Amino acid sequence: MRRRYLAKLAAIAALGALPVGIASAEVSCDGGDARAFAWLDKMASSMHETSYHGVATLQRRDDMQVIQVSHMVAGGASSERLTQLTGQGARVDRHAHPLGCKHPGQMLLKAGSRLSGGDCGIADHYRFSIDGNERVAGRAAVRIRIRPLDVYRYGYQLALDRETGLLLKTVTYGHGDKVLEKFQYANLSLGDSLPGTADVEVVHRAQHPHPDSSSLDAPVRRAWSVRWLPRGFTATDSPQAVSGRRSYTDGLAVFSVFMEELERGLRPGEGVVRDGGTTSYTRGMSLDGQPVLVTVIGEVPVNTARMVADSVNWEQ
Amino acid sequence: MSEKLRESLSALMDDEANELELERLLANAAGDEELRRAWTRYNLARSALGGTPVAHTDIDISAQVRDAIGGRSPGSGSDQRWGQRLRRPLASFAVAASVAATVVIGGQQLAQLGPDAGYEGESAVATSASPVGMLNSLGATAVPASYGTKAVPVLQPATSTAYRQLARQKMSRYMQEHAQHAALNSPQGLIPFARVPEIRE
Repeated sequence: MRRRYLAKLAAIAALGALPVGIASAEVSCDGGDARAFAWLDKMASSMHETSYHGVATLQRRDDMQVIQVSHMVAGGASSERLTQLTGQGARVDRHAHPLGCKHPGQMLLKAGSRLSGGDCGIADHYRFSIDGNERVAGRAAVRIRIRPLDVYRYGYQLALDRETGLLLKTVTYGHGDKVLEKFQYANLSLGDSLPGTADVEVVHRAQHPHPDSSSLDAPVRRAWSVRWLPRGFTATDSPQAVSGRRSYTDGLAVFSVFMEELERGLRPGEGVVRDGGTTSYTRGMSLDGQPVLVTVIGEVPVNTARMVADSVNWEQ
Repeated sequence: MSEKLRESLSALMDDEANELELERLLANAAGDEELRRAWTRYNLARSALGGTPVAHTDIDISAQVRDAIGGRSPGSGSDQRWGQRLRRPLASFAVAASVAATVVIGGQQLAQLGPDAGYEGESAVATSASPVGMLNSLGATAVPASYGTKAVPVLQPATSTAYRQLARQKMSRYMQEHAQHAALNSPQGLIPFARVPEIRE
């Protein structure tokens, strides 16, 4: 297990280098329909290179949020904006994100389409199939079903715009095909004209974590590590060993692990809350006599979070 | 512990294990120290979650559960096992599985696990003047002042509720930081920010 982890670390040390199968020629990928991968590929490029704006909904159990989304491309960089039209009324901006800037999650998703190269990538962990047609936001869309191949991740159904490949809808499925979360556009316009601005209360400028940087708002005194990850998950960045956070992705799902040292011990135990597809799992325990609280937050099943939290330990 | 076993254990903890997976776990529990330890830890954590007191027992229940499921004595042949399994009522598997999930590695290890096993001992909590107040110092739960000096009669449910509140509180605190990374590494652009309970500047 340890060796696996070290190998993974080595593989991601040079962020951008994907773990590539060695005996690639003989490997046959069983991840599903090649047409589905072609669509995923189209989605991966269009989500960065297309200008669009629209109104979308995010449904989680009884809650529905309405959000305005815009994505503008100009001069080799993209600007994104998300405005909440319901609830808090906050806005998130990300300006001047270079198009050439690729993150591990995007590359993993792309890897799924490199079936001919013998690298199965994400196809090792999900099965992809075309699942008919649908109309979303008044546009013709192709439906792609993504089923997890193990118990560590959720399933998805994506609806991609036939014309551009843009992701118009995502349904997240838990165990037994239970719908956990549904995101979809209600309308979508292509092109650069900006939508009217809504009244907002809070504006947050989304950070762009550089691979080498670390947000040290709550550093931990000792170096720690996550010693077990579900297959196919890779670090999204390389925070310092004493940073209080680690994040991992398999290309579709992302989870983050937060470590806090406690002044006093507390009774060992765990707590879980779930909002739609998001799990927040908190575990109180003692590592080497030091009481800690480990929290795993992300779009993964509770038990994935539990097993990840269980593997957290100090670096020896 | 193999990945296959780990996956079976995960399924069992989610109450989603099938009979074969449970059988595999039980068969390997005796010889796989790492599996046994992981199983113990998950149960320990889970017992706090569910608020169920764990029975104290010193016997190796895993062998007994295995026999109950297989309906056989240890060491009997596999042909006989399959034959008996076909005749066995379905319910017995469910019962045995729940026993396995909650009790197998429950009590005795809980008692044995000292601080060096990675957890605070039971007694550390029992003798503490203010277990709820202690959680409260983390901001987990609002507690009337009078609780501060009283021993709380039922510790387990109080802890379980407090942990749930703690998980909620951590979600509020960390969701935005998680969304930063989710937004760059999943195919939905800034949408992960829509999941943040309260967006801060």
